[in-house]
Amino acid sequence: MSSDTQTQHDVQEILRLGQQRMARVMPDTDWQSATRKRGTAGVATMARPDRKQEAWRYTPLGFLDQAEFQPIVEGPFDALQLSDIDDLMLTDPPRIRLVFVNGYLASGLCAMAKSADGVTLSSLAGGLGEVPAMLRQQLDAIAEHNHVFAALNSALMSDGALIHLAAGVHLDGPIEILHVSVGLEQPGICHPRHLIVLEDGARAEVIERYCGLGDGAYFTNALIEVSLGSDSELLHQRMQEESPHAQHLSDLQVHLGARSLYRLTLAALGGAWSRNDVRVTFGGEGATAELDGLMLARDRQFNDVHLDVRHEVPHCTSRETFKGILDGSGRVVFDGHIVVARDAQKTDAVLSNRNLMLARSAEVDTKPQLEIYADDVKCSHGTTVGELDPDMLFYLRSRGIPADQAKQMLCQGFAQEVFDTMASQALRARAGQLLASRLLTSTPEQGER
Amino acid sequence: MMLSIKNLKAQVEGKEIIKGLDLQVGPGEVHAIMGPNGSGKSTLAHILAGRDGYDVTDGEILFEGRSLIGLAPEERASRGIFLAFQYPVELPGVNNTHFLKEALNAQRKARGEPELDSVAFLKLIREKLAMVSMSPELLKRPVNAGFSGGEKKRNEILQMALLEPRLAILDETDSGLDIDALKTVSDGVNALRSPDRSVILVTHYQRLLDYIQPDFVHVLAGGRIVRSGDKGLAKELEAKGYGWLSGQDEAA
Ligand SMILES: Nc1ncnc2c1ncn2[C@@H]1O[C@H](COP(=O)(O)OP(=O)(O)OP(=O)(O)O)[C@@H](O)[C@H]1O
Ligand SMILES: [Mg+2]
Repeated sequence: MSSDTQTQHDVQEILRLGQQRMARVMPDTDWQSATRKRGTAGVATMARPDRKQEAWRYTPLGFLDQAEFQPIVEGPFDALQLSDIDDLMLTDPPRIRLVFVNGYLASGLCAMAKSADGVTLSSLAGGLGEVPAMLRQQLDAIAEHNHVFAALNSALMSDGALIHLAAGVHLDGPIEILHVSVGLEQPGICHPRHLIVLEDGARAEVIERYCGLGDGAYFTNALIEVSLGSDSELLHQRMQEESPHAQHLSDLQVHLGARSLYRLTLAALGGAWSRNDVRVTFGGEGATAELDGLMLARDRQFNDVHLDVRHEVPHCTSRETFKGILDGSGRVVFDGHIVVARDAQKTDAVLSNRNLMLARSAEVDTKPQLEIYADDVKCSHGTTVGELDPDMLFYLRSRGIPADQAKQMLCQGFAQEVFDTMASQALRARAGQLLASRLLTSTPEQGER
Repeated sequence: MMLSIKNLKAQVEGKEIIKGLDLQVGPGEVHAIMGPNGSGKSTLAHILAGRDGYDVTDGEILFEGRSLIGLAPEERASRGIFLAFQYPVELPGVNNTHFLKEALNAQRKARGEPELDSVAFLKLIREKLAMVSMSPELLKRPVNAGFSGGEKKRNEILQMALLEPRLAILDETDSGLDIDALKTVSDGVNALRSPDRSVILVTHYQRLLDYIQPDFVHVLAGGRIVRSGDKGLAKELEAKGYGWLSGQDEAA
C-alpha cells in the first residue's frame, strides 16, 4: 500500500487538473461558487479513504494509482447523434429525457415534451437556460461530504439535471436522466451532480441511467441530492450499466419530509468497479422509504453498496432489500447501516441482503448493522449467501431445459423480484435483458453438474 | 419394452435404498406402484428422471431399448420421460408461462423440431389449461410460488399435458387433492393414454385407481418390488395393509 501523502496526491491531482480546466471553460457561475469552495476545502482536509476507515474497509481503490484520470474536455462526443445511442434507448422512451454525454448536457439528444405546469427542468451548467432561484437555493442543501469523492464532486461539478416540482404537482410518466460515457484516449473523470426537489404533495417518477458507449475506461463520480416535501412521492429507478472497464461511484443523498414516500430501485449491473452510497434521512414523521437493489459482480467485477438510513423521527418505515449475484472472481460488498435515534419511536425497519454465488471463487462481504437507540421499534435484518438451489435446477432440467439455461433462468428469477419493483416496464425489460446478456457472457466456472 | 429395469441397486449418501429392483413397463400400459412410506418409491422416480446424488451401483435401466444411466435429466425429458413431483418446487421470480414455453421449446429443439412462437404457444397452452381446469391467472405468476397444494399438482398435470411425454411418472399426484381435482388429474392422465405412451402411478390410495384403471399393480417395499398383480392387488392392499407382504419379503 502506498503512503498517505502519495495516495492523497491522486485526489489532489484530480482536483488541481479539474480546477485548471474549469477556469478555462466554465462560464461565470456565481451561484455555484459556495458549493465549489466547500468542496475544495473538503478535498483539502480529507484523505483518500483507506482500509482503516470502516466504510471503506472492503472497497479497493487501487485503480486510482493505475490511471491518471483527466478532466473531460468537450471533444468529439459533441458530435454524437441520436442514432449513435440507439442501443441505449428504452423501448418506450420517456417523453422527457435529459441526456448527458461524458458529464455534459447534450441538448441535441434531449427530449423535452411540454410537461405540466409547476414542473421545472434545468441543468447545472445552464444548457437549458438560466437556473431559477428556487433550484439555486436548494443546491448543496442536503449534500454531506462523507468521503473525499463527494467533496470532489462539489468542487468540480460538471453538469447535471435540476428538477423541481411545485407543491401538489403530479407528473405523468417518467423523467429520464441518461448518462452516456464515451471512452477517451486518456481515461477521464466526470462529476455529474443532480438535484431533485419535490415540494409538498408532489409526485414524480425519475429514471436515472449511467451507460457506456463502447468499452472505454472512465470514472463517473456522481452526487445526487433528493429532497421530498411532506406527502410527496418519488419513484426513483436507477440503473448503472457502465462499460466493463469503467469505475462508477454514486453518492445518493435523500431527505424525506413527513408522510412522504420514496421508492428506490437500484440495478447496479455494469462497470469494473462500482460503489453506490445511499443515505436516507427521515426528517418528518410517517414517511416511508422502500429501497431495493440488485448488484451484479461477474468475473473480476467489484460491486459495492453502502446504505446509511437514518431514522431520526418517530413513525417512519423503511425496507431495504438488496440482492447480489456473483460469478467468477466477482466481489460484492454490502454495508447496510440503519440508525434509529432515541426519539424515533415506532420505527419499522426491515433490512435484507441475499446473495447468490454462482462460483466458489466469488466473494461477498455483507454487513447489516442496526443501531437502535429507541426502545419501542420493530426492526430486523437478515442476510444469506447461497448457491443455486439444486432442487430448483433439477426441476427445470427435468422439464427438458438444459443446465446452463436453467441456471440462467434461476438467476434471472432471483433478480426479477428486484426488477419488478421498477415502475417502468421498459426499464424492467432492459434490466432483464442486460442481466441475461451479461450472465451469458460470463466466464464458465469449474462447473459442478 | 418401453421401460425395462433389471436388478437395480442404488444408494443415497452411502445408504442403499433400491436393493435389486425389477420392473417392466410395456407401451400403452399403466402401472401403479404402491408401498409403505420410505420404501423407495420417490427415489425410484427420481432415479428415472435423472436426479443427481443417486449412485446406481448395479443393474440396468433401459428406456425404449437405450440405457438411461448417465444421461442428463434434460436429455431424458427430451426423450419423453416426465416426472410429476410429489413435492413440486417453487421457483420465485420465474414466470410460469415463460417456464412452460422454454420447457416445450427446449424439448422440441433437442428433438430437431421447430420451436413454437409466442402466438402458437399461447394458443396451445390455452387448450391445455382448459383441459386441466386451471385458472389462467396461475400462468402469470412465478412457477408454483404461493400455489396451494392442489394448484401445484394441477400445474404438474398441465406440464404433462403440454409436454406429452412417452413415459409419465406421477409421484403421489393424487395426494392432497379434493375430489374435483382428483377427477381433473385423472382425466388429464386418461387423455394422454395411448398405445405408445405409458404411465407409472405412485400412489397410496385405491381411489385414484378407480379413475385411472391400471394394467398392473406393484408393491415396492424395502427397495424392491415384492409383489405384482392386477388391479385386484390394490383392493387387497386396501383391505389388509402391507404387513402380510413384508413378512413374505423377509422369508424370500
Ligand atoms: N438424500 C437422502 N439422504 C438420505 N436418505 C434419503 C435421501 N433421500 C431419500 N432417503 C431415504 O430413502 C428412503 C426412501 O425414501 P423415498 O422418498 O424414496 O420413499 P417413498 O417410498 O417415496 O416414501 P413416501 O411414501 O413417504 O413418499 C427413506 O428412508 C428416505 O429417508
Ligand atoms: Mg415418496
